[in-house]
Amino acid sequence: MPQPRPHASDSHAAVEADAEGEAVGIAQALADPDREFRSGRTGENDRTDENDRTDENDRTDENDRTEQKEPTMLLARMAEAVYWAGRYLERAECTARIVQVHSDAHVDMPIGQDVGWEPLLAIAGVDSEFAERYLAEPGSGGGGPTEEDVIEFLLRGEGNPSSILGAIASARENLRTARPVVPREAWEACNTLWLVCCDNLAETESRQERVQWLRRVIAGCQRINGILLGTMSRDEAMSFLLIGQNLERADLTTRVLDVRSENLQPKRGDDPYDAVHWMAVLRSLAAYQPFRRAMPARPQGGSTLRFLLQDARFPRAVSACLTETRAQLKSLARAEEAIDACNNASMMVATAAVSRLTLSGLSEFLDEVQVAVAAVHDRIDETYFRPTFVGWQPESVAS
Amino acid sequence: MATHQTHPRPITSFVDPDPTDAPGDGADPDLAPWPSYDPGEFYDEMVGPHGVPRPATRALWRHFTELGPDALSERQDAADREMRAIGVTFTVYEGSTGVDRPWPFDIIPRVMPAEEWQLIESGLVQRLNALNLFIDDVYQDQRAVSAGVVPSDLVAGSPNFRRECVGVKPPGGIWAHICGSDLIRDADGTVYVLEDNLRVPSGVSYLLENRMVAKHVFPEMFRHYSIEPVDPYIGRLANMLASVSPSTGDPTIVVLTPGIYNSAYFEHAFLAQQLGVELVEGSDLVVLDDDCVYARTIDGLQRVDVIYRRIDDLFLDPEVFRPDSMLGVPGLIRSWRAGRVALVNAPGAGIADDKKVYSYVPDIIRFFLDEEPILATVPTLRCGDEDSRHYVLSNLERLVVKPANESGGYGVMVGTQSTDDEREAVAKQVEDEPARWVAQPIIPLSTAPTLCDGTIAPRHVDLRPFTLLGPEGAYVTRGGLTRVARRSGSLVVNSSQGGGSKDTWVVDKQVPVGPTAGAEDT
Repeated sequence: MPQPRPHASDSHAAVEADAEGEAVGIAQALADPDREFRSGRTGENDRTDENDRTDENDRTDENDRTEQKEPTMLLARMAEAVYWAGRYLERAECTARIVQVHSDAHVDMPIGQDVGWEPLLAIAGVDSEFAERYLAEPGSGGGGPTEEDVIEFLLRGEGNPSSILGAIASARENLRTARPVVPREAWEACNTLWLVCCDNLAETESRQERVQWLRRVIAGCQRINGILLGTMSRDEAMSFLLIGQNLERADLTTRVLDVRSENLQPKRGDDPYDAVHWMAVLRSLAAYQPFRRAMPARPQGGSTLRFLLQDARFPRAVSACLTETRAQLKSLARAEEAIDACNNASMMVATAAVSRLTLSGLSEFLDEVQVAVAAVHDRIDETYFRPTFVGWQPESVAS
Repeated sequence: MATHQTHPRPITSFVDPDPTDAPGDGADPDLAPWPSYDPGEFYDEMVGPHGVPRPATRALWRHFTELGPDALSERQDAADREMRAIGVTFTVYEGSTGVDRPWPFDIIPRVMPAEEWQLIESGLVQRLNALNLFIDDVYQDQRAVSAGVVPSDLVAGSPNFRRECVGVKPPGGIWAHICGSDLIRDADGTVYVLEDNLRVPSGVSYLLENRMVAKHVFPEMFRHYSIEPVDPYIGRLANMLASVSPSTGDPTIVVLTPGIYNSAYFEHAFLAQQLGVELVEGSDLVVLDDDCVYARTIDGLQRVDVIYRRIDDLFLDPEVFRPDSMLGVPGLIRSWRAGRVALVNAPGAGIADDKKVYSYVPDIIRFFLDEEPILATVPTLRCGDEDSRHYVLSNLERLVVKPANESGGYGVMVGTQSTDDEREAVAKQVEDEPARWVAQPIIPLSTAPTLCDGTIAPRHVDLRPFTLLGPEGAYVTRGGLTRVARRSGSLVVNSSQGGGSKDTWVVDKQVPVGPTAGAEDT
């Protein structure tokens, strides 16, 4: 038997919010679906149960009572497709931001002092794929990876499924599968983005034009997000899309922090380039302006870290991503385990004494957060995408 | 057969934006023939005798003359861009790799007068009714065989006959709910039904998308002329699907696709999206011991009432048909036979779109409906008959020879366009397995003006309208998918063989001109 959905009057929502302290708050209020559409869900709940169809007449009565169609079902396969569409879109956009900001910061560095391009590979988590493809070549010589190679690999690289172009292509394929459950315009916007990126690939080869290409990617992803927010019903498909997006965001934010952690620790000396580094980190997560507004006039590395991990209002802060994920999970049936995993990750982030962490302690902590975020994905995957239904029987047969 | 031809009637122009301009006024300079446009001996859909536009196309003619070829080419480019952006594609297989091709769309519409369309419409409904009575009869009483209307081996020997369907009674006795007919017009203007596609006919999504793009390409035409809308098809389809549900209450309908690699996947996704239903693959469905079909949803299993299946019969259920099918659902036929799920079209419906059965359709119409056929059928020689075979083999260069049981234009040999070797090969195949082959006279397909490299040239066209039939009635699209051979002289219009497409405008002179004209179907 499929379990019934949790009821709307889920009273421990408020209690949990308190326990997490400042990490939840306005973001919770904004994201929590209870207010906007939970009431509709409760009604659906009852009707879904009727789908077990112990009594055909009940269904007819139901129809007489309301013009509303029965809740449209969502195939497990479709849910998975929209989830991954959300993840890949986010991956494309974030990677574009990170590359762009890194290039900008690179320009700011004094001649002779190179920021290097390896960190980008580490953030994208593709160092080994890169090494396999580029560094194994004879004659690649010493020195680190070159700008050209890294950029090519991250933007369009063959053999790199997380390249921007690869992520857009994957998002497109997933949206194509999910066409019946996403607004037509969203698919078209994604298709257009993919075509435009392919048509203008030559731009990625020079620094000047690369900016334009990356801007296109960011704008294209934002456009798709806008279409989804503006035209898609807040249904289960939307929940899976938002969950995918927020888990990807949380993951990428922790990766950026992990790789850049050195720059984010308060330093004793007065390195003039210190500021360049942490501003770059904020910018790569589109967080600079929100951070400035939220923080005191003279912020330090520690406050950056706190902001990107624990802020409840900024949508790319890990806490906010997890809050949104949980809010979406609560609108789904059978989400208990995923919600537990999500709460676990939230608590871990919210209660960490971030500013007191040492460099190695920080890295370790971020690893733990990443594992906790991955656990949320695993629970969702088990619960919704790979259900077995072994032994499940409709009541009409069982009784 | 000659008695039932639908000769084009003299139809006066539909309402013209300029009331002072008398229709049919040959002196109108805007209606002067296009100097380089010559359809030759073929019937042209736009141009009548002496290069003068046919009445229903005059407004369009005038407009195109004003626009000129450059502006038309610009609009063609805009249309191509739009098709690409909205992702209208079809998949062509070259070897084992599928390539997504943008859907080829020619912006110059093919115009049909509404009066003629009404006749076609009633002819298509008549045909689909008769074919359904025939299919139902095949799987029940076989009255048509007993009465000698069709030979018994025609039914039992057909590869489309499904033993598993014998005795099944689908709702309303309807087996083929959706039919995509191929219509062609010969040199004297007669419209023939060339094929009744009753299995999984495709193309309706392209018909609807073509119209949407056409509206963007020629908004001014749609404002000023009463062009019959095609959009109501989706609503009619939804109603028809719901009407065959075995359950009371709001039915759960799904579209069943072979998956993302199928050449018509675009259409499957389009239809599911437009209908607001799920697009399922075989692995998403399961049949339980209660003989009901369930979908694997995020909330567990949910019962499915109606399946609009876009998978061929033989792949539907590995327990009954091909055991190696990975696309189907084990137990699906059991569920259907038990009346727990509706399959649209029903399995076994293909018995009536065999090309040999085709030759009996006029008799089938007379037998089951006691009516004369409204639409013409192309005379068809069955190579299994010795006289016919002899004639076919000695007249190969003047005939179209085709396998009785293929679709998509595969295996078709057009005599006039064949080489000696090809004819020899076909002759051998006909001699080896005569019953598998039929032959027809070569119908000189009509032409329509088509943009080719910036100039307007005549190209051969056919037409695929879609007919729906459910217990609550029938519906025919107002217009259809016009397919066009893009190479000069070619008669092959199938998109899998490089053909293009056009929007088809059924124009009605009865509907008053105005912003609301033709906007709604009731």
